[in-house]
Amino acid sequence: MKSIQEILKSRPWLGWLIFLATVAVVFLLGMLASSIMERRAEAIFAYTPEVKFPAEEPRSSVWGELFPREYNSYMKTADTSFRSKYNGSANVDMLDESPRMVVLWAGYAFSREYNQGRGHFYAIDDIRNTLRTGSVPSIQPNTCWTCKSPDVPRMMKTEGPAGFYSGTWDTKGAEIVNPIGCADCHDAKTMNLHISRPALIEAFEAQGIDISKATHQEMRSLVCAQCHVEYYFNKKKTEGVAYLTFPWKNGTSIEDIEKYYDEAGFSDWTHALSRAPMLKAQHPDYEVYSTGVHASRGVSCADCHMPFISEGGLKFTDHHLQSPLNNVANSCQVCHREETEKLISDVYARQDKIIENRNILETLLVRCHVEAKSAWDLGATDDQMREILTDIRKAQWRWDFSAAGHGNSFHSPVEISRIIAGGIAYSQDARVKLARVLASLGANKEIPYPDISTKEKAQAYIGLDMQKFKAEKKNFLETVIPEWVKAGAEREKSYYK
Amino acid sequence: MGFLHKLVPPERWKLPVLLAGGVFTGLALYAFYISNAPSYLGDKPETCVNCHVMAPQYATWSHSSHREKTNCNDCHVPHNNVFNKYFFKAKDGLRHSTIFTLRMEPQVIFIKDAGREVVHKNCIRCHKELLTDSRLLAYTRETHNFRMDHKCWECHRETPHGRVNSLSSVPWARVPLPGSLTPEWLENIMKNNKNN
Repeated sequence: MKSIQEILKSRPWLGWLIFLATVAVVFLLGMLASSIMERRAEAIFAYTPEVKFPAEEPRSSVWGELFPREYNSYMKTADTSFRSKYNGSANVDMLDESPRMVVLWAGYAFSREYNQGRGHFYAIDDIRNTLRTGSVPSIQPNTCWTCKSPDVPRMMKTEGPAGFYSGTWDTKGAEIVNPIGCADCHDAKTMNLHISRPALIEAFEAQGIDISKATHQEMRSLVCAQCHVEYYFNKKKTEGVAYLTFPWKNGTSIEDIEKYYDEAGFSDWTHALSRAPMLKAQHPDYEVYSTGVHASRGVSCADCHMPFISEGGLKFTDHHLQSPLNNVANSCQVCHREETEKLISDVYARQDKIIENRNILETLLVRCHVEAKSAWDLGATDDQMREILTDIRKAQWRWDFSAAGHGNSFHSPVEISRIIAGGIAYSQDARVKLARVLASLGANKEIPYPDISTKEKAQAYIGLDMQKFKAEKKNFLETVIPEWVKAGAEREKSYYK
Repeated sequence: MGFLHKLVPPERWKLPVLLAGGVFTGLALYAFYISNAPSYLGDKPETCVNCHVMAPQYATWSHSSHREKTNCNDCHVPHNNVFNKYFFKAKDGLRHSTIFTLRMEPQVIFIKDAGREVVHKNCIRCHKELLTDSRLLAYTRETHNFRMDHKCWECHRETPHGRVNSLSSVPWARVPLPGSLTPEWLENIMKNNKNN
């Protein structure tokens, strides 16, 4: 057997052959590698738009030039024509629907005005218009802007969260002019979903969870959870600042949140009739959804409220955020092969049954407040009333938690039924105790239920001067708002074109 | 062993041969790495969007009810035995990668006959009660045969990818495509240089 050197010595062409074969193999391997690289780069470019506007661009119309389908469907949130049995996108005066709420919120701004929310498109209009924000100086802090606009992350970038929250609501009116839009949920560079509000990140940190590890599917709910949650203004965190905080440290169930507030000794306001230290539930949509069967099957908010739609040969996410009841085919029927009417009647059945007990609880709460007021008027002592007021606080917290959420009684009907049942028990406890206190004070007859058959009567009953609020607001809308709009337009002239 | 022994280079050639061998192996490993090759052994749906032409299929699946219970392989490779599974996967995968590398992918991708059979069998694998339910069989003796003669999606046409599909049917869909290969530390250095 000859060695390779010897073979090559006798046949030099074989050496050249080995050389050329090696060149060919390396060349082809290199070609393959560069082809893979090219196609990977292609993937990045094909699915990442070339964005030229800055990350904090608050105007959705500018984003919309790159994403016309998403933008056009988002603009449909301006449509207020859809009204389901209990919800929808129409501007419904809830105090008119249920004047009992006026009494429940006596001493709190919600008793002035409370409407069924319209689409995201109206976020700025509605917060300007509501009597709850008042005029100049406002009764609310700047924190109230937090969920209303992509101008908020723009401002927070320079001022920081605490800096943004400080001051009264009217002081940032000229800065916050664009309604909820693209930059609230999307990263301008990659178009991926991102969390633009610090409160949610901080709430996850408080529970020891790193929100940056969330999957895309989780993000399709978490971007909504930046705002559609229970929150409160923590005045202890930074001196003189109403710091937006989600009370999730102990967990997100109603009992966990109640425990958090009790431990913090927090109350939103003292009730004007019963003097109970009240809690106001905001809209615990994400917390309630999390307890429902859809959440446990992995369905995200976007799956039903922003389903895929086809337009010609294209499919994209419908950015017309709305009630799935107005779009059953693309939402429910992706999984549930039932007739539209059947599916809608299933939803209404749950809502009907739950509102039945919610109305009972609502009436009981009116009685609680009225009877407690009578007890105070007859000279009841703090000691006599302490337990009763705690019961009232607990009962109304349960009512509000159920009533304030959007679509709670569909998202998690069993949980909401349980919560309302708890509320009824607490309110009846309070009334049994009240009956004893009242009897001991010599009042052993039924305290009459007030005539609160209309919103106006209810507001007069709790002593609200609605004419004054309305006049102030009218003046504010006519004089201050045009200034804000003008200042906003002036500022945006210098923005990216 | 004699043959292997012949491959060992003489002393003074050892270094160049080691270097040349290293170049080969390194290049091959590099191709292996950038193509995410090891991922092809598993069942993760992200693997299928290693090639971005599959993005519409991924996006439509991730918006369908099958998202919660299935991955791509559950439907698109046979499950009668493990050898057949990997044989079919290798066969299909090599064809796909060849066509992708040669840029021969059509604008609208249609499933081939072999794939159709596999998908159909996999529909039945999970939903067999729909074919054998005795109450349904009671309607007509032909029910069973009728159902077996048709592909499920002749009626369930939207399941699960929808009816309209093309390479460009899901613009800007958020799909876990393989990202940049530049390591983070290098990107940070580049970013810092840019800022300076």
